[in-house]
Amino acid sequence: MGPEKYKYLIIGGGVAGVTAAETIRTKDETSSIAVINDEPYALYSRVMLSKANFFLGKIPFDEVWLKGEEWYKKNRVAFIGGRLVVFLDAKNKIAVLDDKRQISYEKLLISTGVRTREWDVPGHDKKGIYYLRTLEDGKAIMAAIKSAKKAVTIGGGFIGFEMADLLKLAGLDTTMLLRENYFWEPTLDAASGKMIENALEKTGIKIIKNAEVTEVLGDKNVESVVLKDGTKIECDMIVCGIGVIPPPLEFAREAGVEIKCGILTNEYLETNVKDIWAAGDIAEYKDLLLEENIQLGNWVNAREQGRISGLNMAASCDELGIKKEAFKFVSFYTTQGAGISVAFIGDSRPFPDRQIILRGSPDLNSYERILVVGKELVGATMINRTSELTSVAKLIQNNVDVSAYTSELSNPDFDLKQLLPK
Amino acid sequence: MANIKEYVRNKEGSNIGKIVIDRDLCIGAASCIAVSGETYELDNENKVVVIGADAADDATLLMSAESCPTKAILLFDKAGNKVFPK
Repeated sequence: MGPEKYKYLIIGGGVAGVTAAETIRTKDETSSIAVINDEPYALYSRVMLSKANFFLGKIPFDEVWLKGEEWYKKNRVAFIGGRLVVFLDAKNKIAVLDDKRQISYEKLLISTGVRTREWDVPGHDKKGIYYLRTLEDGKAIMAAIKSAKKAVTIGGGFIGFEMADLLKLAGLDTTMLLRENYFWEPTLDAASGKMIENALEKTGIKIIKNAEVTEVLGDKNVESVVLKDGTKIECDMIVCGIGVIPPPLEFAREAGVEIKCGILTNEYLETNVKDIWAAGDIAEYKDLLLEENIQLGNWVNAREQGRISGLNMAASCDELGIKKEAFKFVSFYTTQGAGISVAFIGDSRPFPDRQIILRGSPDLNSYERILVVGKELVGATMINRTSELTSVAKLIQNNVDVSAYTSELSNPDFDLKQLLPK
Repeated sequence: MANIKEYVRNKEGSNIGKIVIDRDLCIGAASCIAVSGETYELDNENKVVVIGADAADDATLLMSAESCPTKAILLFDKAGNKVFPK
């Protein structure tokens, strides 16, 4: 018996992979498509897992499903759940799964997403330490909050922010531990970080900065954490949000796919190996706006890359007569909690060559930093100013020369839409 | 009482007569904006508002609603029947 055959094979069943399958189906009605997913589940809303209404049970659990099994059937997309690719023969175009199944393909997309970085502090193997990436992770935390009384969160990013807010809303005594001097250092400035800290503290969350955990104590279950200065904090659950790492990619590396932090692609999301694309959090893609390879982890970016990669996979089939498209997108990510909204747009890394223009102020509870390189915007961070997100994204996308408008940009009442091309 | 906002759509030839945003569900993921920046914008509470109910065609509008990771965008036809989510 030879390998199963699919024209389009997609490794990764998250939003990037499934959007790619959906896009391919709109362009190619008849060819076979298969999606391999490490989780046994159809597409669900990963972002919903850390949102208050869902987490606290105000939204029924089943609302987490974005595509039911019927969608895969209706669109004739074969779903291979709970399996990993362990070997890839790019020459003969065959993927081998961890159950030894062999699948041949003509066009391959790698959209595996990333994994959570695991804590390596002594005592990290005790029960009661949680991460948030998969549906199972989310279910485990939702179950734990029903009996836990005291929680600690580790890390000063999105997961730390959203989980601390949720744990407090769930009625737990919550302490947030940050290694940094302030929240979201260094992507945000100290003033923005302080606004977030104030909002969290107002809800009753305790924040300890410059905190380094040296040990987790407890018998089998977590009972406390000890900090470098000897402080001991009692807790019966810990949620870690300390970054991400790539999943096992040996199969791709051994097949000759170039990998740095993620899988390297050009602006068409093509890898260096013919007929292999990458999309979503795992893609380290050539960003046309920044003119460098970057890797981003957020829902909107993954979805858009899924769409473009699917389109380009179909476009590589001459008989379909479709033109390939470059991925050119100003990415953004927003969150809200504890009565505050935070947004990052474009490239908000505060490199020394970047001019930072401030709009609004912490005193106004409305504060934005616009990052300019040369004559153009490259990114922005916003606290309670998300209404300007689309205007800023369009200014970046259209490479608008803002060099003559520094005073307007620093005036929080000036409508940025006035600078957009008519 | 759900925190919802309704926007009437009068686009000629369209089957969609109303766009509804459930603000309790909206988390500001803004994937709808990525699909149709002419239709949606965020407000300062990080919730989506409709700025151009007639701006997009029906297919784009449906795609924007489908892109939402919390199903916060509901679409109704001219007779008031729910088109999405089904």
